[in-house]
Amino acid sequence: MTTQQLTILLAVLLLIFVIELVRREKLSFKYALGWILVSVFAIITAVFNDMLFKTAYWLGFELPSNFIFFASLACITFLSLLLTIFLCQQNNRNDKMAQQLGLLERKFEDLKQNMQS
Amino acid sequence: MTSTKLIIIPAFNESTNIQHTITEIRNSSNGFDLVVIDDGSIDDTRARALAAGVEVISLPFNLGIGGAVQSGLMYARMRDYDFVIRLDADGQHAASDLKQLLGPLKDDLADMVIGSRFVGRALEGYTPGRTRRTGILYLSAIIRCLSGQRILDVTSGFCGWNRKGINLFADSYPVDFPEPESLVLAVRAGLRIMEVPVTMRQRYSGKSSISVLISFYYLIKVTFALLLMQLQRKGRRSL
Repeated sequence: MTTQQLTILLAVLLLIFVIELVRREKLSFKYALGWILVSVFAIITAVFNDMLFKTAYWLGFELPSNFIFFASLACITFLSLLLTIFLCQQNNRNDKMAQQLGLLERKFEDLKQNMQS
Repeated sequence: MTSTKLIIIPAFNESTNIQHTITEIRNSSNGFDLVVIDDGSIDDTRARALAAGVEVISLPFNLGIGGAVQSGLMYARMRDYDFVIRLDADGQHAASDLKQLLGPLKDDLADMVIGSRFVGRALEGYTPGRTRRTGILYLSAIIRCLSGQRILDVTSGFCGWNRKGINLFADSYPVDFPEPESLVLAVRAGLRIMEVPVTMRQRYSGKSSISVLISFYYLIKVTFALLLMQLQRKGRRSL
């Protein structure tokens, strides 16, 4: 098996795995989109690898493999940044929800006291 | 016994339109209760809706239209309403069309009704521009392929449900692209869907949040989401 075939196989497996996760509702569309795009892009570049070599040369990489490492690292960096953004949003929402819940409980207690008196 | 009817109005930063919309509904609705779902607005939508004398459910942060509508349906289920009509806060939907939507639900001809710009009467009032219409036509074709049901106005936000519909969507309402996705879900759950002609107007003021979204990218994403949804198992659990 050549490296090209191996790459294609892995990318296809990733794509199938992501779609399966969506199917099982472990992933929602919003979060799956990034992974789907990455795997499709990987398949395309692996199939048309001369394009990859040309781009590597054009960007001044000594070896195409260097370019691949660079590109995949950039990709992972970007995805993890996205994850951080989502995480941050979740964190904010969680805090706000806890505060609202606290206030709601207070309001409820007030109401109860008002009714008793 | 008369049936109980609820209008839900999801509103996100609609302070300029909300009172106008509420007044119009008040003047023409018979026997409808009204609830505004304030979807984490950062303007005074909530205060204005309260001033207009309606019940308001305020979400602590913006969930998007899907989450807001689902909250309304959960409220409807909690209060045991027979019928729910959802309409937009921006004044696009005319209160005079409410009885059109309620009709098929009351006569038990449909479990979900959609106020459509494209059926029945000759196109009048506000119809979308050509690009947008092409987009809607395309989505309509996709949904027809996937569900076998012919629905013309697949992005209409003017719709209504009976108890069966309320139950389905109170459990899980799609969040990514609520209008087209909810149609596919409804067909899959065996709901009878009916389109009734309504007149839509230009929104009172401000910019629609969808007009920019109805673009090529939007269409690709919706297609993708609908296709992925097709792969999901029938009994959709709520996440």
